[in-house]
Amino acid sequence: MKRTILGVLAIAFLLAACNNAGQPSQAGPDSVSQEHTSTAAADSAPVTALTPQFSGLDSKVATSLKMVVDQYLHIKNGLADDNSADAANGGRAMAEALAGVNPSLLTPEQQKVFTDNADDLKEHAEHIGKNEGNIAHQREHFAAMSEDVYALVKAYGGGRPLYHDYCPMYDNNKGALWLSEEKNVKNPYMAGMTSCGSVKEMIK
Amino acid sequence: MVIIQFIRPVKNQHPGKSADDITRLYPVPSPVLHLLQEACYDCHSNYTRYPWYTNIQPVGWIMAAHTRDGKQELNFSEYGSYSAKRQLNKLKRIREQIATNQMPLRSYTWMHAGARLSNLQKKMIIHWIDDVLQANKGTGY
Repeated sequence: MKRTILGVLAIAFLLAACNNAGQPSQAGPDSVSQEHTSTAAADSAPVTALTPQFSGLDSKVATSLKMVVDQYLHIKNGLADDNSADAANGGRAMAEALAGVNPSLLTPEQQKVFTDNADDLKEHAEHIGKNEGNIAHQREHFAAMSEDVYALVKAYGGGRPLYHDYCPMYDNNKGALWLSEEKNVKNPYMAGMTSCGSVKEMIK
Repeated sequence: MVIIQFIRPVKNQHPGKSADDITRLYPVPSPVLHLLQEACYDCHSNYTRYPWYTNIQPVGWIMAAHTRDGKQELNFSEYGSYSAKRQLNKLKRIREQIATNQMPLRSYTWMHAGARLSNLQKKMIIHWIDDVLQANKGTGY
């Protein structure tokens, strides 16, 4: 009996969430629709907060890293708007911003996270910059880039709260993460499905 | 035309095997290594083969520019100098470039018949990459 009540409640919640998101209510309570209940569910569900590993980062480095994150968000918003040229601008600007980070101001432990990710990130930024007009390829690099940026902000923070979002459908359902400055889901991977995805955690 | 023949680019032929060579990082079965050498190494390693016509300028200059750009993107001879993350990401992209026939470049295979990969040869390289990725799962990525 208890189970039945819980089941009914779960279905009712899902249907409500789907309706709020403007999705047709015939979407059943299966796992796929649950992944795509989008913003309405994301707003009501509690989001775990994560505190960056290092505190007291050198202020120069913190400023230059924030510029890298700025450009990451620039690329993300370009892709979410299906604007390849804007994403490319962000890519070129990110490569420049990365060159402005001076890792020698960091402690060896802090430095390691940077060197583990910086060359990979630079390459993705350059490729996104070079591939204006090929948004599918830009998105491939963005998926890999997001892993690098996630590693960086988990260690240093992003200079602002960031949301770690997840799109389960990208790349034939392999899935991909991205980071966002806003709690509302704005998917940079799937054209025409911008509200699809879920919020995994918040990074302070 | 005569004068430019005397301006020759430095050849991309380094002696010995670099400490950062990809074969020092991962096991590369010799048939796969052979394919990489035939189809990729002219532009993506420190060992370019120079056919006779590259001694005629500006062919040699164009070739030098190609090799410079190719090595900047990917250099199998310096693979160990990349971060662990970049190493595995590069493998994934090599896999994709080969699977989607974007590499080797058609402009290159047009002149170098030996660099054309058959479907079976592509599968051999892809299979090797999958093995390496599997063996390195959870490290650096």
